Amino acid sequence: MARIIQQIIIIFLLILTLAALPVIIEVNAGEKSLEWNVEQLPKIYGEFISEISKGSLGTYQLGTQVRAIEEDIGDNFFTSLKVMLIGVISAIIISLIFGIFLSRFRLTKVFNAFMNILSTIPDFIIIIMSMILAVKIYRWTGIRVISLRPDAGALNLWFPTFLVAIAPTLYLFKLISVKYYETSGEDYIKTAVAKGMSLNYINFQHVYKNIEPFIKAELIKVISLAIGNLFIIEYIMNVSGITKFIFQSNQVQPIAIGLFAMLLISGIVYLVVRIVFYLFKRGFIYE
Amino acid sequence: MSKLFKMNFSLYLGVFCVSVLLFLCFFGPLMAPHTLTEMLETQYRDGKVLSPPMEPFESDEYPLGTDKWGYDLSTMILHGLRYTVFIALAITVIKMGIGTLCGLYIGTWRKTPSWIIAFENAWSYVPLFLVLYFFLRPISFNSPLETSTLLGYFIVIAAIISIPSIISSVRLKTAELHKSVYIEAAMALGAGRSRLIWKHIFPQMKETLLVMFLLEIVYVITIMGQLALVNIFIGGTTVRFDPLIYLSVTKELSGIVGQARLNIYGNTHILIIPLIVLLFTTISFSLLANGLKNRYQSNYARTPWIKIGQMPNMKPIRKKFGEKQAWWPLSGEKLALLSLIIAFIGAGTYVYVTKDADVGVKSDAQATYDLQFVMDEKGVFDTVAAIEVKNQSKDDWEELVFYFIPNVFKEGHPFASVKGHSEVEMKAIEINGEKAEYSLEEDTLRIILPPNMKDKHKHRVEVSYTFTPPEEGVRFSKENENYYLAQWYPMAATYQDGKWNKEDYSDGGETYHTDFSDYRVQYKLPEGYSFVSTAEKDPALLKSEGTVKINKVRDFFIAIIKDMEVHEMKANNGVNIRLFTKKDHNKGIEDTLELAQDALRFYQEKIGEYPHKQLDMILDHGAFMEYPGIVTINPYIQDTYFYRNAIVHEIAHQYFYGVVSNDPYHQAWIDEGITEFATSMYFYAGRNQSEGQAFSIPNRRMEMVNELGLGRQYSNVPLHELKSSAFIYGQPAMELLKMMKDKYQLKGEDVKIVSMQFLSDYYHHFQYKEVNTDEFIRFAKDYFLVPSGYFNSWLNR
Repeated sequence: MARIIQQIIIIFLLILTLAALPVIIEVNAGEKSLEWNVEQLPKIYGEFISEISKGSLGTYQLGTQVRAIEEDIGDNFFTSLKVMLIGVISAIIISLIFGIFLSRFRLTKVFNAFMNILSTIPDFIIIIMSMILAVKIYRWTGIRVISLRPDAGALNLWFPTFLVAIAPTLYLFKLISVKYYETSGEDYIKTAVAKGMSLNYINFQHVYKNIEPFIKAELIKVISLAIGNLFIIEYIMNVSGITKFIFQSNQVQPIAIGLFAMLLISGIVYLVVRIVFYLFKRGFIYE
Repeated sequence: MSKLFKMNFSLYLGVFCVSVLLFLCFFGPLMAPHTLTEMLETQYRDGKVLSPPMEPFESDEYPLGTDKWGYDLSTMILHGLRYTVFIALAITVIKMGIGTLCGLYIGTWRKTPSWIIAFENAWSYVPLFLVLYFFLRPISFNSPLETSTLLGYFIVIAAIISIPSIISSVRLKTAELHKSVYIEAAMALGAGRSRLIWKHIFPQMKETLLVMFLLEIVYVITIMGQLALVNIFIGGTTVRFDPLIYLSVTKELSGIVGQARLNIYGNTHILIIPLIVLLFTTISFSLLANGLKNRYQSNYARTPWIKIGQMPNMKPIRKKFGEKQAWWPLSGEKLALLSLIIAFIGAGTYVYVTKDADVGVKSDAQATYDLQFVMDEKGVFDTVAAIEVKNQSKDDWEELVFYFIPNVFKEGHPFASVKGHSEVEMKAIEINGEKAEYSLEEDTLRIILPPNMKDKHKHRVEVSYTFTPPEEGVRFSKENENYYLAQWYPMAATYQDGKWNKEDYSDGGETYHTDFSDYRVQYKLPEGYSFVSTAEKDPALLKSEGTVKINKVRDFFIAIIKDMEVHEMKANNGVNIRLFTKKDHNKGIEDTLELAQDALRFYQEKIGEYPHKQLDMILDHGAFMEYPGIVTINPYIQDTYFYRNAIVHEIAHQYFYGVVSNDPYHQAWIDEGITEFATSMYFYAGRNQSEGQAFSIPNRRMEMVNELGLGRQYSNVPLHELKSSAFIYGQPAMELLKMMKDKYQLKGEDVKIVSMQFLSDYYHHFQYKEVNTDEFIRFAKDYFLVPSGYFNSWLNR
């Protein structure tokens, strides 16, 4: 419990410091040097806490008008949440299916090779490449694959979701493959094979059960990967998600609120994934 | 076949690609076809409009195409790649070093403090690029900070923020190893913590750490790419408003990608090409990491019991203990590695040596001279000139063409400035040991190549002839008892653009264009004469026989003098100035020598090294004229101002004629104009005269043009079209001054310093190269970032 509280405090301070960085760092043009106004930090913390304790999320500036954050954040929050949730869950499902359950089939080898190649390509290159591809597809066929208009609805959302899913899929798939390979050399697998159990059975009852802890352990990392890409994807694809607050302003309040909202989204995604795992275990695995 | 499948391609390919990458990092800027500031201007060529953006693979000049503004993509990439790779390396070295050290020690603690774990967990949730984004956003855009400062901040911050994750993974691995039985055994035997870490745990982790190191490089590049997508470029972002454009200052690869991001809609090559290079960079490191991992895995892995998809089937390569590492005989991997190293060094040397090969205009005829003459009491020179001419072009030659200038001064010559006449008697010409057919008209000597020699690339010509110089001639002359041998031997013409570049001799300017050659001259004189020449080390005065040599000069001038005084003085770097004179003129000898010394010192300090060890000055009747390492000055003219100016002018020619070559017939302004400018700059910057005074001679020349009503003319016209010499002397000097005054702020704070720096950079860029108007414009335009049209008022393109 102490650790959780410690963690919460550290995260809280970290996010606020991060949000305050644009205010703290200043370039002194005359002396051509960098100035750190660290002394402002306590004041920033104080202001943020007092604003929150008043029950409001504060305000942000949009062009010339000042708007209340809580009025506008709802839609953006749910857009981002939707993208993240679908992205991460499909990443886990795909990598589990191909990493363990379908691993032995010939067709998976092709998928494997494809994933291996993709995983050597940095995410941001995949993102740009796929955007170029989408534009080309529209040129050739006239089919509109993506839309960069924020109000384009599903057309605006499915592609970002797909892109968000790529990085976690590649990461998890690699992890699961390696763990699968390691696990399959263990003696209990040998025993199970010797008992004449079917491969599917071994995969479910022996392998999956032993790999699951690793996935759980890496879940935070996976979500963090997805979040990192979400920032870029929302930025360059004009998705009106939560990152709007972070990229569009220089004030502490909206950036901090944006980052906390991100944290909340990660928390929700984490919980949902854990619930899915739990249900899957209850449904298919003998305890 | 199965053996082929089991090869670790990933490793081999990775090593190869990383080598290629490092090669490009080290030598990239040397290989770049353009400079970063050079733009493709919209132009017509062969009936086609060339305009940016140029598609890749369309033109040889712009191999990967250009961006929207006409900057060459390949040049940007070759310059930017080293930033990307070296920054990634620097960050990775720092974070891996510190992270590993901390991780190893923390991992061996009995209990890890909970706040460390809490911090690690919290930190792993924050995407690192976001931290960098918030840090760099206030300082990156149009930053007043220096690029190097920005790079430094980026490296330090990026390293620091990624240390926790390194510590975390090293710590976990260490803790795991720390539980092993062999550690317990070592502890029981009394091993301390440091010994445990460095002798027992670290060796176990070496390989994992190496793989991690490579993967972290890729990770850093990824972060740089992510930042570039939000317009934060490493080393600073230049923002232009209206329209809003973000540009990378360093042209670092991810920056080039970032600044071309909006090209997804059209001209995609501007985006795709740097993206592919960036991809190549990351994949190279990934492949290497993967290859190493495969190797280690195959060495340690256990075989699975059930059928699974990804079965590594590498052949393990294990160290055999107790067996000596033998480097010989070379086989397999060692051989491949060795040949890779040799290729790397070889290609690097090649790139370094040929880096200036594309500078300047080329001549495909390369001559070497071996000249011998005997002078008799009557002043008749019996000469044998053995010349080796190399054909460096792809053409087969029909003939060899030489300037043979003594021939134009034969009796009945039309030149009013030459009082007497020369006598020339051609005795024999041999080519490659056979008697040659030739024609000699005016100063053109053509030697017809027999059909069986046309495809040879090296011809040895031997010309035997006797000659006497004309009395009171121009350059090639006899003044009383002194003989001045200028252009006295058959001089190989230049072969450029598939033809011999040979123009007829005429009065006035220099009509002969020769390339840099090596000379060996053997002479024999009657008693009482001294031999003073271009040669690096002239024989002692009054020595009547000898052999001299010099390499890489454009001409070989000889003065054969009798009863002249010698005065000597030293300039910088031990360069010896010798002055030969008689006493029958009114110019101060000390003054002259001091002026020469001061001018030479000024040029040595401001422009660059003087190319010879000695500068000879001969004061006698005749023209003011420059030859490599030797100048002739006429002290008998009345105008002292011009006299002093001319001395400096001829010394400046040692740089801009002697070392920077040009075609004096078609591009006469290049050496004369720049020399005139350098001369005025000596008085302006070296002697602190006022601008009007220092530039009075070029100014006066232009005024004369006005007074005579000659109108306007370009400076780069061939001599036969030239209306007045002012257009090749005065006009360039005045225009160059104007350009300096216009643009010096780009390069510095003082117009004098910038002007001399320009001359110095020009001199060093074109050392031992030939310059023409296009080359000059290309250089100057890039130097002061002006469009080509800037020169339209005085140069014709």
